[in-house]
Amino acid sequence: MLPAAGCRKRGVMRKAVDRALMLYCAGSAALALAVMGGILLVILGRGLPTFDWSFIGSATGATLGSGGVRYQLLGTLVLVLTTFVIAAPLALGWALMQTIYLPDPRWRWPLRRVLYLLNGVPSILFGIFGLILFVKYLGWGKSWLAGGILLALMILPTVTIAWVERIEALPQGYLRAAASLGLSRGQIVWSVIVPQTWGGGVSGALLGLARAAGETAPIMFTAAVFSGVTLPDGVRQSPVLALPYHIFVLAQDSFDPAAGAHLWAAAFVLLTLVLALSLLALPLRLRAGEEATHG
Amino acid sequence: MLRGVTVVAVTGLLAVIPAEAKLRINGSTTVNPVVSEAAAILRAEAGLEILVDTVGGSSGGIAALADGRAEMAMSSRPVSEADRKRFPGVDFRSVRIGTDALALVVSRDVWAAGVRCLDRPQVRGLYEGTIRNWRDLGGPDRRVVFFNKEPGRGTWEVFAAWLYGTSTAAPLVSLPGVGSNAEARSKVASTRGAITQLSAAWADGERTFALAICNGDDELAPTAEEVLAGRYSLARPLYVITNGAPEGDSRRLIDFVLGERGQALVERHGYLPLAKRSIMGGAQP
Amino acid sequence: MKGTWIRWASYGATAVALVFVGALVGSLAWESLPVWRQEGLSYLTGKTWHYRGALFGALPMIYGSAVVAFIALLLAAPLGLGAALFSAEYVPGRWRWAVKVPIELLAGVPSVVYGLLGLLLLRGWIYRLLEPFDPLSGDTLLTGGVLLAVMILPTVMTLADDALRGVGASQRRAARGLGLTRAESIWRVSLPQAAPGLAAALLLGFGRALGETIAVFLVVGRQDNQWPASVFSPRAWLEAGQTLTSKLGGSETFLAYGDPLHWGAIVGLGLILLILVGGLTGVAGRWLPQARRHA
Repeated sequence: MLPAAGCRKRGVMRKAVDRALMLYCAGSAALALAVMGGILLVILGRGLPTFDWSFIGSATGATLGSGGVRYQLLGTLVLVLTTFVIAAPLALGWALMQTIYLPDPRWRWPLRRVLYLLNGVPSILFGIFGLILFVKYLGWGKSWLAGGILLALMILPTVTIAWVERIEALPQGYLRAAASLGLSRGQIVWSVIVPQTWGGGVSGALLGLARAAGETAPIMFTAAVFSGVTLPDGVRQSPVLALPYHIFVLAQDSFDPAAGAHLWAAAFVLLTLVLALSLLALPLRLRAGEEATHG
Repeated sequence: MLRGVTVVAVTGLLAVIPAEAKLRINGSTTVNPVVSEAAAILRAEAGLEILVDTVGGSSGGIAALADGRAEMAMSSRPVSEADRKRFPGVDFRSVRIGTDALALVVSRDVWAAGVRCLDRPQVRGLYEGTIRNWRDLGGPDRRVVFFNKEPGRGTWEVFAAWLYGTSTAAPLVSLPGVGSNAEARSKVASTRGAITQLSAAWADGERTFALAICNGDDELAPTAEEVLAGRYSLARPLYVITNGAPEGDSRRLIDFVLGERGQALVERHGYLPLAKRSIMGGAQP
Repeated sequence: MKGTWIRWASYGATAVALVFVGALVGSLAWESLPVWRQEGLSYLTGKTWHYRGALFGALPMIYGSAVVAFIALLLAAPLGLGAALFSAEYVPGRWRWAVKVPIELLAGVPSVVYGLLGLLLLRGWIYRLLEPFDPLSGDTLLTGGVLLAVMILPTVMTLADDALRGVGASQRRAARGLGLTRAESIWRVSLPQAAPGLAAALLLGFGRALGETIAVFLVVGRQDNQWPASVFSPRAWLEAGQTLTSKLGGSETFLAYGDPLHWGAIVGLGLILLILVGGLTGVAGRWLPQARRHA
């Protein structure tokens, strides 16, 4: 009888452990979700009361915390667009290099490695690098283009890896069929690979742009000022206003209730922009390439 | 992709062509509210292109001016010998736009416990960490939290010169740092036992309070009267600085700030306008 | 014709990107040379940073960065691994998105928004909750660590989830078929097999915490020369501190500009950060692709 009792006891024990682990895991997931929900609720709850359409339609007023964020939003869009224009061709080139032109693992491996390490570079270092290159050596001062180049460099791994994964996922039959039609490799790239993987590149870019739109550190020394500009009209000495930098500066000023309300509304606008970009890219994000989006 | 390459190439070319002249201003967050508002008015009324930034405080502004990253610096301290030595080729021209009374600003609990006034040795003790509890000064039984203005801030330079003769004589301390005036104020307001160096104009009298400076039996509050009478010693002039005589847009901005409307802005932001300066005599630290 | 053109454009794009990456690393090394010449190794081991006296010791900032990242990992690891186990082992396939999507979105929240929440909410909470322990103010290393924990949670969870999903379903079924409970199958099969990927998830989370700037800057207190009585004492977590990134993001960066030694010391902090994060990413990368190959 004794062994059976021991067995039963062990069985109870095993069940208890099993139950406890499940509860722990479910609890962790619930807590993580609660944190996410809490963050959204706080931003919505504090940002929405101050937000109306004139908030994004009008410029910031002369006194702190008055007016809207029209030019901060436009400035951020300028940066995001510039980032896209620069990052997309570089990423496509790199992705083709890694998959088609240099299929030899000896080459492919270091390219992957560089991309992977670049993905891990903290964003502040792009800011310091930009300060050295664009401000110190090129004498651009603060410039939207410097910001766009730095942000493009920052998101290059995200976009490239998304593109590479799409290209590698192309059915081999496709490429063989194209080759059997007598198409050259260049023609295959142009008329099969690029059109077929375009979606992957774009969703990768959207992911990257969501990150670029919210970054402060790369642009605070190189591209953004707090006030005094509208839209850029040149390259040198042509900074923009930007939502993240605006929030960063005002955050240190949060004691003023007027600034506080303005601040939450600005955070709401930024979060909406960033989440919209992420949501657009969601299908890709859930599928693959997840490590590329973190660093 | 060719289009991408072309865009990069074209913008690269554009970068070589000097941009249209814009007036870039950088420096002190103390001076900033006045200059920013003046700039906003000139932008709206005269279409001037003026960029105002406050990276690095007064010293950041002076360095930016000297390096050609700005055409005008805002400063809450005079240009020093060290600045002139570091940037020998630069012809610093300072224009005074008003006066600011600096104060030691404390949190509500310290004020409520009856601390109203500090003398120089006491301030030194607080700053250097030899006085660690407010109890020693008749305040609450609470650890002293000294929020120190970051290096390079005009406020810090003037404070250090007042306490130690020159800012370079200030000893090395380890204190939590604050940047802008607003940040200093919000941190003091939200922390018990807190003190910071701050423009008296920024103390709101509800959550942050400006202490007087005692000198023997005298108790001098950072009020306009005391500053104007030259008795309150922690006052400082506020400047805008150019490289060479101000011209063009710089000139227009300075003329505006020195004019009636500009001086009204100075007063509205809590500083003393120039008209009252002559009474002050040689009260500068 | 078109083929050659694309090929060269592809080479060109890759070369341009590589040049920028090289310039980033090279400029940090080159610009920081003066401080290495002047201070030598004591730049790394010195505990005093006093730029007026031309003394540059980076150790307190390395300590600050390590502490906030450690606290972040201490909190995010159990939560992230638990949540990852839940989504990988317990939730049926169709429902995974309910856990994954919000966490993915959490990853997209800009750091300045986290900073704002930290500044306006978390500081106050920490200050009140820990009052019995007499924290210096709401700005402490602990505040920075807690905020970072939330920020790296998605990284840890997503990568851990990937690693766990990489474990073959057939092995899992076999384990259950042998009569193991879910907890036992996790312990005996999933965890050992996913171990490298899980370790990579933790390392990358740690690296991300080390490199985060804006949010930490706003809540860490930015106190120079903070060196605890004991490096391992959690008591020091309740004091203000300075991290590599909060120093880089602060006013000294602009102040130092133009003075070669001081500038070198600031840029040197960036180089230290790059080496630390690069090392972590490199080590993690050895394990990660292997884990992902099964995904």
